[in-house]
Amino acid sequence: MTELLVKNAFVIDPLSGVKGEIMDLAVRDGKIVEEVGSGAVVIDAEGYLTLPGGIDSHSHVCGTKVNFGRYMSPEDMRAGRTVRKGVMHVTSGYSVPTTFGNSYRYSTMGYTTVLEGAMAPLEARHTHEEFTATPHQDMLANTLFDGNWSIMEAVKDKDVKRAAAVVAWTLSAVRGFSIKLTNPGGTEAWGWGEDVHSIDDPVPNFEVTPAEIIDTMIRANELLNLPHSVHLHCNNLGVPGNYRTTLETIERVPDLNPDRQSLYLTHVQFHAYGGSTWRDICSKSEDIARAVNQRPYIAIDMGQIMFGRTTTMTADGPMEFKLYMLHHNKWSNHDVELETASGIIPVYYSRKSLVNCVMWAIGLELALLIKDPWQCMLATDNPNGAPFVKYPEIIALLMSSRYREKEGGMIDPRTGHFAPLFAIDRELDWYDIAVMTRAGQAKALGITRMGKGYLAPGAEADIAIYPLKPDQMDPSTDYQQVAAGFSRTLYTIKRGRIVARDGEVIVEGANSTIWSGAQVPHEYDLNHDSEFVKKFEQYYTVRMRNYPVQDVYLPRGVCIGTQSSL
Amino acid sequence: MRVILKTKPRAKPRVPIEAETIIPQNFLRNDIRVYEGNKERRLEDLFYVTVEGPAVSPDQVEVILMGDTGIIKRVGEYMNAGRIVIEGDIGMHCGNFMSAGEIIIKGNADAWLGREMRGGTIRCEGNTGHYCAAGYRGEKRGMRGGTVEVLGNVGDYAAEYLCGGEVHIHGNCGDMPGVEMRDGTLIIGGNCSRPCGNMTGGTCKIFGIAGQFLPTFHRIGTEEAEYKGKRYPMDAFRGDIANRGKGTILVKR
Repeated sequence: MTELLVKNAFVIDPLSGVKGEIMDLAVRDGKIVEEVGSGAVVIDAEGYLTLPGGIDSHSHVCGTKVNFGRYMSPEDMRAGRTVRKGVMHVTSGYSVPTTFGNSYRYSTMGYTTVLEGAMAPLEARHTHEEFTATPHQDMLANTLFDGNWSIMEAVKDKDVKRAAAVVAWTLSAVRGFSIKLTNPGGTEAWGWGEDVHSIDDPVPNFEVTPAEIIDTMIRANELLNLPHSVHLHCNNLGVPGNYRTTLETIERVPDLNPDRQSLYLTHVQFHAYGGSTWRDICSKSEDIARAVNQRPYIAIDMGQIMFGRTTTMTADGPMEFKLYMLHHNKWSNHDVELETASGIIPVYYSRKSLVNCVMWAIGLELALLIKDPWQCMLATDNPNGAPFVKYPEIIALLMSSRYREKEGGMIDPRTGHFAPLFAIDRELDWYDIAVMTRAGQAKALGITRMGKGYLAPGAEADIAIYPLKPDQMDPSTDYQQVAAGFSRTLYTIKRGRIVARDGEVIVEGANSTIWSGAQVPHEYDLNHDSEFVKKFEQYYTVRMRNYPVQDVYLPRGVCIGTQSSL
Repeated sequence: MRVILKTKPRAKPRVPIEAETIIPQNFLRNDIRVYEGNKERRLEDLFYVTVEGPAVSPDQVEVILMGDTGIIKRVGEYMNAGRIVIEGDIGMHCGNFMSAGEIIIKGNADAWLGREMRGGTIRCEGNTGHYCAAGYRGEKRGMRGGTVEVLGNVGDYAAEYLCGGEVHIHGNCGDMPGVEMRDGTLIIGGNCSRPCGNMTGGTCKIFGIAGQFLPTFHRIGTEEAEYKGKRYPMDAFRGDIANRGKGTILVKR
């Protein structure tokens, strides 16, 4: 029995309704409890900001495409090198670091749970192996269903229950957490060298449209009562004028779940462009924010970009091809049979490029214009917009309009004509930031029932103590201090154990992988479905019995079981 | 200030020394450490160190390396002022990323001499290994400025990814000098083979024989060029067409 007592902590815990109180947190056996005995290890937080452990609801840190990013960017591995020290492994890399590099950097920033944004079901084993080597964060995997043939056939037959059955079988076979749709339909079209250009564009050979796929999957998700909603990367990413597609998508979403959103739109910054070409690209963040403000059943993440070098990687193969045609640098392209596609290219976001400056402004505008912080998460779509180590800078930008003005002085002076950022004087407060970096994510992902994202008794003892005294500083002027404070915790506590202290990782760590297992009635269990079995025999290069990920790949798997309403 | 570093006899003379700390700006303070294999050593453990005269800025520092220096790597990495003179040979990666100052090598240099350098001068009086004044794995830009002069011969891939500055090789080059070149000037006094594949910009002048000349260059006429006080008629080529390049190669007729 291990006990820990965090004294004099300045706690902000939005899910429990604590908005900044000095209090003590007692921890026993990895859980928050009412009180502990006198033998407990005591940490004096001295009034420093104490939050639940950070949760990243969309980040690409593990899996085949991340690893391919590592292969193709030896130059990236020259940055961020640290030597072996104590329990810390050697790390290297900046935008696509080694798994331990990711884990340690997240840990020193106070993050204890990370959702991998896109896992191709066929390549799940690799993803789970890398999860095991990301030892400081509990990991979840969004599973790609955007070009899944069985799903598209179910959509064509307008059979939501069949789609739900495919989802249930696949999620439990690959130990996935939730449904991810990346450019639905477009990744299948990419197998034919094509793309879909609106949500009503038919997918070649399947006679379904992206809109139908999205509608069916949202309903299938609710039939299975999965913890998270559908996680959607809209069509037309990065195309000037694509805000119309995004708005059309938002308008179709029904409100189906009282506990959380019905659709999670990811990296919306990339989907909020007006104009018709790269020359007249402009921000449509106001339109998007208005649509989101009107619909409390929608949640988004920012997908902020930050200037500098990074690597873009996504399952959206056709979009990466368009980027490649702009940059003419390295490019990787991949098609996952019957399931999805992917692409990777390195990019440099420049302050001199007007397009990049407008993109930078849009991300911040979304976070500032969406009134309810529970609806907008802070994320960069790591590493597509920027590596996650830039989060503290984004927090500082959101908390200080002065900092935004100062940054605005260094970027293309025309930015203000194309984006309303500098006319917005809202400054987020500590509570908003706590929502946007942990509580909002926990609610959106539906993992509060596992004790994530809050600090009341019964919760998991994931705690981050930052060297910031909210009652003694003004973030709008001390923005540099805010950025520095959020980039290095005093203590990161994971399941009741101190894992990082003052930027140093001090334990080996042992994470869990959280996945969703939906119980379905026998007639919807596809293990016995002759048509589904035949699909495997006919088309897959893998046999059906070899397809599921064995438990040996998840040394500490945690299943969130749900009863489906099929 | 003159700092003379003379190598001491070592128990295992074949273990390489990683000496990116041997740069003039570091000699304004004491306690310089280098690695011998994977062991960290004080400079005094590996060298007889003699210091003559004072210095207040790195510009006034001259470092002289003597003895068995052919196994010392990364001397002059990130150097930004002063002067380094190497009396003998030098190991790999000499002058990486240097931005100013001067390095003179009296003997031969190993591979990656002046890799990705930004400015300053390197003069090698002997031969060099492969990848002289080149870029590095995965990176699209190699040397960006400064000058590298080699009086002897160089290995393969000289001035790969060159995108600024001048590289002058008096002797012969190996295979593929100036490959992926984007800008800057490459002057080859001797012979070479397959020059400037995939070049997109810059100028390469070859005053010897260019063997296995690539077919993806378009002949645009003749020009004259001066080399070591004499004028030569040159064939001019444009390319690499395969990469929509706009580079120029001049080859002595």
